[in-house]
Amino acid sequence: MKNIIYTFLMLFGIYVMNACTDLDEDLRDSFTQAGGEEGEEETTAATADGAFSKLLDGDAGTANHNNFFSIQEVSTDEVAVPAKGGDWFDGGIWVDMHRHEWKSTSEPLNNTWRGQYEAIGEANRALANPNLTNEEIAQVRVLRAYLYYRLLDTFGNVKIVTVPEVDAPQSDREEVFDFVETELLEAINSGDLSQERGNVARINEYAARGVLAKLYLNAEVYTSNARWDDAAAQAQIIMDEGPYDLSPNYSDVFSPTNADNIEHIWVVPFDETTGENMNFAQMTLHYGSQETFNLQDQPWNGYTTLEEFYNSYEDSDERKANNFLVGPQVDSDGDPILDLAKESNDPEFQLVYTPEINELFPNAIRQGGARMFKFNFKDGQRPNMDNDYPILRLGDIYLIRAEAVARSAGDWNNNDARMWVNLLRDRAGVDPFGTLTEQDFFDERGREMFMEVTRRQDLIRFGRWGAAWWEKPAHDNSNLNLFPIPLDQINAAATTDNPLTQNDGY
Amino acid sequence: MKKYLLLTVILVLMCSVGALAQISISGRITDAGDGSGLPGVNVVEKGTTNGTVTDFDGNYTLSVSDGASIIFSFVGYVTQEIAVGGQSIIDVSLSTDVTQLSEVVVVGYGTQEKKEITSAVVSLDSKDFNQGAINDASQLLQGKVPGLSIYNKGGDPNGTPTIRLRGISTVGANTEPLVVIDGVIGASLDNVDPNDIETINVLKDGSAAAIYGSRGSSGVILVTTKQGTAGKVTVNYNGQLALSTVQNELDILSADEFVAFGSNDLGGSTDWYDEVTRTGVTHIHNVAVSGGSETTSYRVSTNFRNVEGILEESGFDQINARANLSHRALNNKLKMDFNFSLTNRESDFSFNEALRYAVFYNPTAPVFGAESNIGTAADYEQFGGYFQSPGLFDSFNPKAIIDQNTNTGDRKILNFNARAEYSIIDQLSVTVNYGQQYTTSVLGEYYSVNSFFRGINRNGLARRTTQDQKFTLFESFATYTNSFDKIDLTFSGGYSFQENETESFLVETGDFPNDLLGFNALENSGDLNTDGLITLRSDASPEERIIAFFGRVNLTFDNAIFFNASLRREGSTKLGEDNQWGTFPAVGLGVDMTQYLDLPLSTLKVRAGYGVTGSLPRENGLSKQGIAFNRDGGTENFVLVRAANPDLKWEEKAEINVGIDFGTDRLTGALDVYTRTIDDFILERNVDPAVFQVDRRFENAGELKTNGIELSLNYDVVNNPTLSYNTGVVLSSYKTTLEEFIIDEQMQANLGAPGQNSTNIIRVKVGDDIGQIWGPRFSGQVDERGIPIMVDLNGDGQVISAQDAALSPDGDFEELGNGIPDLEIGWTNQLTYKNWDLNAFFRGAFGHSLVNTFRAFYEPRIPGQAGYNIINSDLARDDITSARFSSYYVEKANFFKLDNITIGYNFNMADSKVFSKVRAYFNVLNAFVITDYTGLDPEPVLQDFGPVDNGGRFEEDNGDPITPDVLSPGIDRRNNYFTSRTFTLGLNVTF
Repeated sequence: MKNIIYTFLMLFGIYVMNACTDLDEDLRDSFTQAGGEEGEEETTAATADGAFSKLLDGDAGTANHNNFFSIQEVSTDEVAVPAKGGDWFDGGIWVDMHRHEWKSTSEPLNNTWRGQYEAIGEANRALANPNLTNEEIAQVRVLRAYLYYRLLDTFGNVKIVTVPEVDAPQSDREEVFDFVETELLEAINSGDLSQERGNVARINEYAARGVLAKLYLNAEVYTSNARWDDAAAQAQIIMDEGPYDLSPNYSDVFSPTNADNIEHIWVVPFDETTGENMNFAQMTLHYGSQETFNLQDQPWNGYTTLEEFYNSYEDSDERKANNFLVGPQVDSDGDPILDLAKESNDPEFQLVYTPEINELFPNAIRQGGARMFKFNFKDGQRPNMDNDYPILRLGDIYLIRAEAVARSAGDWNNNDARMWVNLLRDRAGVDPFGTLTEQDFFDERGREMFMEVTRRQDLIRFGRWGAAWWEKPAHDNSNLNLFPIPLDQINAAATTDNPLTQNDGY
Repeated sequence: MKKYLLLTVILVLMCSVGALAQISISGRITDAGDGSGLPGVNVVEKGTTNGTVTDFDGNYTLSVSDGASIIFSFVGYVTQEIAVGGQSIIDVSLSTDVTQLSEVVVVGYGTQEKKEITSAVVSLDSKDFNQGAINDASQLLQGKVPGLSIYNKGGDPNGTPTIRLRGISTVGANTEPLVVIDGVIGASLDNVDPNDIETINVLKDGSAAAIYGSRGSSGVILVTTKQGTAGKVTVNYNGQLALSTVQNELDILSADEFVAFGSNDLGGSTDWYDEVTRTGVTHIHNVAVSGGSETTSYRVSTNFRNVEGILEESGFDQINARANLSHRALNNKLKMDFNFSLTNRESDFSFNEALRYAVFYNPTAPVFGAESNIGTAADYEQFGGYFQSPGLFDSFNPKAIIDQNTNTGDRKILNFNARAEYSIIDQLSVTVNYGQQYTTSVLGEYYSVNSFFRGINRNGLARRTTQDQKFTLFESFATYTNSFDKIDLTFSGGYSFQENETESFLVETGDFPNDLLGFNALENSGDLNTDGLITLRSDASPEERIIAFFGRVNLTFDNAIFFNASLRREGSTKLGEDNQWGTFPAVGLGVDMTQYLDLPLSTLKVRAGYGVTGSLPRENGLSKQGIAFNRDGGTENFVLVRAANPDLKWEEKAEINVGIDFGTDRLTGALDVYTRTIDDFILERNVDPAVFQVDRRFENAGELKTNGIELSLNYDVVNNPTLSYNTGVVLSSYKTTLEEFIIDEQMQANLGAPGQNSTNIIRVKVGDDIGQIWGPRFSGQVDERGIPIMVDLNGDGQVISAQDAALSPDGDFEELGNGIPDLEIGWTNQLTYKNWDLNAFFRGAFGHSLVNTFRAFYEPRIPGQAGYNIINSDLARDDITSARFSSYYVEKANFFKLDNITIGYNFNMADSKVFSKVRAYFNVLNAFVITDYTGLDPEPVLQDFGPVDNGGRFEEDNGDPITPDVLSPGIDRRNNYFTSRTFTLGLNVTF
């Protein structure tokens, strides 16, 4: 018996010795870099593909709710999110956004900041991978510069981090501008970017120049130093040398089957399976419109267009019918759609989208407002849409060049400028401008670029940011040209060696 | 082995007989309680080794020397000594040794006499438990242990209660106490039937729990199941028949009132509460057989439960079997215990959402579309004939949800444990314990091709989930006991190895030819031919290991001063490579003052303890980067999804507990005061995304401090054979403050849709209490547009109440209440009169507030919400026509309730040859509640799972279950099950 016990104790002792040293954590269902399986580090390395995929991520906010798209659009005179009774009040943040009364705790502001840095981080990780080709390096640098351009545009004074997990001090807006410009120029001048049209979800030389053109167009806002000629020059190279053309039909540029449209220079290739997070159908449609498009999920009845903006289109403008959904709504069989929560003063239960909205809050009519239809919906639409979203397209380049040339010449009726604007009007089926004024140009740019996140830039650049519009009082506070740095980010950075200082006026 | 042992005993006896036999005595030993014969009783001639044991019927024969004294002893009974004095027949009736049984308390890796305990330990046995149709072992304790909060919102039979010992003990993983069943650490409370539980001990403070290490940091609940005892075979039957009814509903408008109010009339009149609720019939049966000899004892039991919830379709069928076998061998030097238990529960979860929609679904809507004044029957064919309103957000016909869809699950828990204890010498024993527990769940959901709720435009939707968990425990420890002069010493030391592995698999797919096969024929799914519609997930945890070495010393001086100390060195796989090991000490001291002071008290013990325990995060892999495979953009790539934190280290909880136990003949009580500090608590916090690429990372982020006080009192008001009345009260109170946090203050806990997203209502602030509900104060005035006017709290002449100003100095916000109660109370009353007994248990909590979210969303008379019914509580105001979170929706939720009342009758079975005990009783659970709270249930809500709406699910974006937010208590969400009241008839028969 004793022998048995001793043997047992000995075996037990050996078991204990082995077991007690083994606290390795073997992650069986997720990849990791350092400390993973042999070879895992190489096979799961960061790539240019990974960096570009971040533009599709919901966190980057390119075409989804409560992020970059939302702050760029809801703060302007082309989109609003009315509070419909209790629905969409959301603590008043969308009312605040529309009325330019946003605070540093606003959720979409924080999401914007976070999402851009997540994408920048992936770009930095890709650039740290020694196996990238020269072309990929140049592409990712342009991508990163574009992401910093988004931050430059919205928050201005941000950290420029270029190496994974290596912190950097906060830069001022001019320094960020210089960084973006330098990165773009270096990528262009490296000769590593293709001049072929290629995959428009990636970057060629013209895409890099397009970002540069947008940067120069707004240079006066960013740095107090106008760069109109530089903007025009970049736009000219794209127009003269780039393998692009205006699409014969405006709606083809944005439709669910718009992939490879000839007008696209750089797009975010949203896809219902391999590129989720374009949610415009959900964001804008009334619940009942689920029946029209046989949507897989019930939509949210949030975003609408301002009546005045809707009315800025002539009725014959093809863009009006393309960009908005108005009037009585029917299901896919043609039967009226019923809204059982109709207002008591509505005569019928049928769902009717009216361009006018009674008020921004508290009790906006649920059916009020023309709906955002520019990126058309398809039958059986999933919550994630199939349309590609253009970051750069030739139509925008025409307008950039027209504006830059006109401003450089000090003449809005400049012949070249008017010609390029009229090319777009012609496509839309409306009469050309005989003379072009600043107001004409501004309105035309709005009609053409609806939903393409340029309106806020335009309003600021044209000095109209402080003007009054529907449910938004006038102000003369230039500090509002920048959003506040989100409080969460100031808090998070406070414990690092490089804290963040809040923007002026907040 | 047994045979040889017996032979040895017989040989020894024969020798003695030969040497010393002078006269022969015989007799029968019986149990003083029921008169039955006791087998295996030791009958020994005093001062000799001459002895025998009684046979199966309790008879013995022994030859002894003239004038000898005989000692009759048996474990669990009072030993008797009787002088032979010429008698030849000595019958003895032994009575159970109550003091001996109750004074031994199971503590970690051993037992202690109650008087030796220096920490806050509460011991309850079956007579103290809550009674009635109790399906969950934790409910036995609800309200009985000061400092132990158990809250199960509503009456969901498949719900799991929230259990907290002394408030928040960690913000990370194991917020709930460790459960130890018959010495098996981490055993599942779901795998023990309440009927099989003998005693439950709760180790409350750090010094007692420290021996269990990290898993004990939220306290320890030690469950001892009923064991067989030597003696004749006993059969016990327990049967219960229970009826559950809806105890409370929210006040809403009837169809007529709704129309009179000017809302849309859809032509019907439906009481949606009636449509989705019912009287639930439950029956429970328990049969146990136990018995044993001197060396071997056993108990086997089978429990059957068929439980119906008050929500249509909800309930479960459960079979539980348990077998405990204990055997002594090698001259009692070796003791072996085998425990085996199996539970199979087949649940129908039904859909709690049906209760939510029953509250605000249009009361003029008929169940079936053909009966409405909108559209024709043909319009509703797509919904299977049920009325539906696709134009409304978050609105589904509640009856259709239940009728059309299926939500079921099977769960099997199997637990096996073997333990051997060997006494090498009298002073030294070694124990080895090995056990495994398997939990397997298979869940199935199916949404009809016509279901508007989750099935619409998917043409049928099926989801299958399996979860598999394996837990392995290996422990070994040695115990050395000795006495020197006035010192008694016990030393224990050992090793513990715990490993947990989980695996899960989920598939969701749609487009079925019809509903006939439900989720059982996924191969019919049309989604197999369509890109991107099938959801697939499989997950496997790492082998989560905890490895520990521990030691403890107990010293008793003078049988009056008790000292103990323990040390545990523990390692975990979950922490950074250089921080995996932690050291956790504990010390305790107790003094029995009655030994030194002349007091009119039978008990006066002062004790103090200090203990440190560690705590681990729930998640795995936090010290390592996470990389996810990604197909976004049509390319295949790997992107970073989790930033590594290689510095992640143990969260440490240090607790000081000072207590006093006192008692006279009739009054007993205990008072405990404690302070606990949780340092380096592990929390996912915001980090700078410019540096880490992601904006959240798990870090050792701050410090929490809790101070608390607990009192229990028990008084025998009357105690005589015909009438006895005993009453007891337990009181507890605590407060938790955030001492340090990386972020000074932040808002969390979103109220949700419709319209109250970005409305965070809980403030977490350094230096302040946990649980602050934070928002604007309603002035009582409403403006001409129907918007409630808030108070200018900061007196700056303007009212800024938009949510994004919540933390701004301009904002007019204040603390509107706190989700954690100031005082929790339990009051027990036990009355017996002759054969009757009455047990009434009252429970209450005071000082906490709840955010009544049903009111916040659906009580304002919003013109644009004419399609929803509205809440019409006593606080409803017709002039508020805009939903705006404020103090108006934060209500004090003080309550006092008659939680449990039982009246029972014990039949006199003295003459029965068959039955030894028969008892019948009637019980009511949740008899009445006194409260001003207008919501469904005033019980505190200690953690938050966030909002969910429009058919969404309680899961993270990636399908993982939501980690509850323990820093956001006090929100009564819209998804709680209705409370129920249960009437039970029970019968208990022993034969």
